[in-house]
Amino acid sequence: MANTNESTWVDCDTTPRDRRNQRRVTTWALAWAGSVLAATAAMTWDWLPAGAGAVVATGVVLLLGLGTARAYWHFLRQADELRRHIEMGALAAGFAVGVLGGMTWWLLAQAGSVPEMDFAWVFAAMLLTQGLGVLVGRRRYA
Amino acid sequence: MNNRLKVLRAERDWTQARLAQALDVSRQTVHAIEVGKYDPSLPLAFRIAAVFGLPIEEIFHPNGDGG
Repeated sequence: MANTNESTWVDCDTTPRDRRNQRRVTTWALAWAGSVLAATAAMTWDWLPAGAGAVVATGVVLLLGLGTARAYWHFLRQADELRRHIEMGALAAGFAVGVLGGMTWWLLAQAGSVPEMDFAWVFAAMLLTQGLGVLVGRRRYA
Repeated sequence: MNNRLKVLRAERDWTQARLAQALDVSRQTVHAIEVGKYDPSLPLAFRIAAVFGLPIEEIFHPNGDGG
């Protein structure tokens, strides 16, 4: 239920609903990130039974990732419209950095101009750009 | 797009937070609309008009049409 206390609108530049949905996204994202780290460690140090263990661990990571994506989708659908505008701009910037930057780097690597890069760095750059985009957007409209 | 949101709000002695609550948006959204940094969607413009009890065209004007 929406918080009708006016002070909650004064104290923060987000609505109570957005704060609640944001917490949900953060919780899912932390669980997903934790599962990635745990699965990576388990596979690196052979903590899992061979074969099925890695598949189960990957399945858990996938399920938590889907939960994160669903929570973020829910957040965007219910978000304050300026916040949604900012988030969409940040997503576009992250996509541009990931796809354009990643492809450009890959082509340069094929030509031997730059070293090969792990896909995880492209993913990290996308997330970092999106986060920075949200911060820049929120400052821009402040 | 120009708008009279700040004037209309001041006439009623409403804070940005109070208007934001009435519109179910953030205070930042109200501020961004007031200073012309953000143009609201049509549904939000209709909600704003309903809150002030005025037609949309008495609140929002195309650029250059000060109204």
